[in-house]
Amino acid sequence: MAIYKRGYQRYDGPRASRAARLAVLVRDAWRRATAQRLVTVLLAASCLWPLLCAFFIYIANHAELWAGMDRSFASILSIDHQFMLTFMKVQAVFSVILAALAGPGLVSPDLANQGLPLYFSRPISRFDYVFARLASLAGLLSLVTWIPGLVLFLMQVSMAQPGWLAANWRLGLGLAAGFWLWIAMVGLVAVACSAYVRWRLIAGALVLGYFFVLSGIGAVINGIFRVEWGDLINPLRASYGVWCALLGAPMPSGLTLPMSLAALALMGALLALVVERRLRPVEVVS
Amino acid sequence: MSQPVVEIEDLHVELGRREILHGVSCRLGVAGTGRAIGLLGPNGAGKSTLIRTLLGFHRPSRGSARVLGFDCHRQRRRVLERIGYMPETDSFIASMTGVEFLRVMGALSGLPEEIALEKAHETLFHVGLGEARYRTLGTYSLGMRQMARLAQAIVHGPELVILDEPTNGLDPSARRRMLDLIRQMKEEHGMSVIVCSHLLADVEQVCDEVVILKDGAVVHHADLEAERRANRRFVELEVEGDDSALGAALEERGAACVRETAGRWRIVLPPDFDLRALWALAAAQGLSVRRLTQRRDTLEEIFMKAMGLLRQTPGEAAAGEEVEIRGDL
Repeated sequence: MAIYKRGYQRYDGPRASRAARLAVLVRDAWRRATAQRLVTVLLAASCLWPLLCAFFIYIANHAELWAGMDRSFASILSIDHQFMLTFMKVQAVFSVILAALAGPGLVSPDLANQGLPLYFSRPISRFDYVFARLASLAGLLSLVTWIPGLVLFLMQVSMAQPGWLAANWRLGLGLAAGFWLWIAMVGLVAVACSAYVRWRLIAGALVLGYFFVLSGIGAVINGIFRVEWGDLINPLRASYGVWCALLGAPMPSGLTLPMSLAALALMGALLALVVERRLRPVEVVS
Repeated sequence: MSQPVVEIEDLHVELGRREILHGVSCRLGVAGTGRAIGLLGPNGAGKSTLIRTLLGFHRPSRGSARVLGFDCHRQRRRVLERIGYMPETDSFIASMTGVEFLRVMGALSGLPEEIALEKAHETLFHVGLGEARYRTLGTYSLGMRQMARLAQAIVHGPELVILDEPTNGLDPSARRRMLDLIRQMKEEHGMSVIVCSHLLADVEQVCDEVVILKDGAVVHHADLEAERRANRRFVELEVEGDDSALGAALEERGAACVRETAGRWRIVLPPDFDLRALWALAAAQGLSVRRLTQRRDTLEEIFMKAMGLLRQTPGEAAAGEEVEIRGDL
């Protein structure tokens, strides 16, 4: 029977599990995150650097193509931690821009349209809501970070000499772990900014500001006080310190692994606090 | 013993450092019987805070609140699985179409995916948004958004539906439609409904019992259904002329009445009283009737009295001096 003829019938069948409800929330967030055309354009643009890197790996593993060139060129063409760190730095910038574009659409519209009571009056918690937003953003950022990174790593493994993997397995593991740490940080910044500001444009600017303004402030502190701990308030620099440790590269001057981890943990805690304070079903004025 | 829909024991709720609910206790409705409960009170009485506490948005500082047998704070998820909530605020998700919105809301409430889509269509037709279901919510008018909010509250077939100011901002025909839908929800689908409203006429039309809150406490709990069953009829009468003998004449015919001011009477008629007798009585005393309004029940009076704005109603023992009470029921 046609639905419009049947009329409303109260449903009293079996209910979906919590995991199924969470999946609905994640899918809804993914749909929102990928709804903008600009996000698709940026995703396409972020493939350029991995493609160049893939070309580089191909050249590096085909000695016959650069036979006869001088030795300094040969030393450049090595796939090591420096290569991976360069790849990670470029893709990290793409991921920040992507988060600034896609992130604010995840929470800001719900705040602007007072939609949070609609979610929280259902059997889902605030944690579920934030987790779904973070998960969809993590999926999006994965497309420009660890997934192309691991593809490059596997490409290098397949083309390199048999002993390369045994000597450099840490690069693949470090790249994946480093990017996951980065995704968690960027995702949390995007959700916190989106929860803090109701306007998408301003929330996007806040995401960019968080990374680039803090970098600037860190550099200013270092310059004025002639210290190096200014890097600790720079999320890019603190993450870079962790990446170096994970990939087995020398640590940048003025940073140690525990300091970088502590700085990132503190930033994460503050961002989580912002999310906790802002994402409530109703606003209570004290 | 039948289980109440809502059971509140000495509930205290603080927001910030201010206590909003001060020891609210009441038992409302009977689960599975499809009754509507009106939640009334002036602004700041604590109605919204009470509803939000039932939804688990606020944590009680003392006491407990149970919905359908489950504790609102400790068993929040189980409570929310059984509830549909229509918020007072203009809450929606602008970028979604009507059907998409309802599908997501239904699935989040626990409807299996394939059922959620079917129910979304079904519910939108039910509330009169069938033709607009593929339009984004941002393009809906205020009345349509109100209906969409009602639809999201019932799409998953909850046992209890909480409606916060459901007729706010609706034109008369939409308001009538909303009240019809509320009536259908309880009578045809067996849902318990809590209606929080400032509009006494709306509550009077659809509710079977009312709770009146004032300054964060319950000041009155009345069973309107029982009032209706008692079949008491209330009349407001305005006459011109010497009405000094009218009270006694009404009393003789078994009516109870209050003379508010000269020429203005409020009367409780006995069940078998024919209104034409009232006209005849006025004519016999040489009075011209300027106004005669008949009401089925006393919600306005109950409310006014609970607020302390009315000292007494006709038919009750005299307690004040401003009005003259005659007769008894």
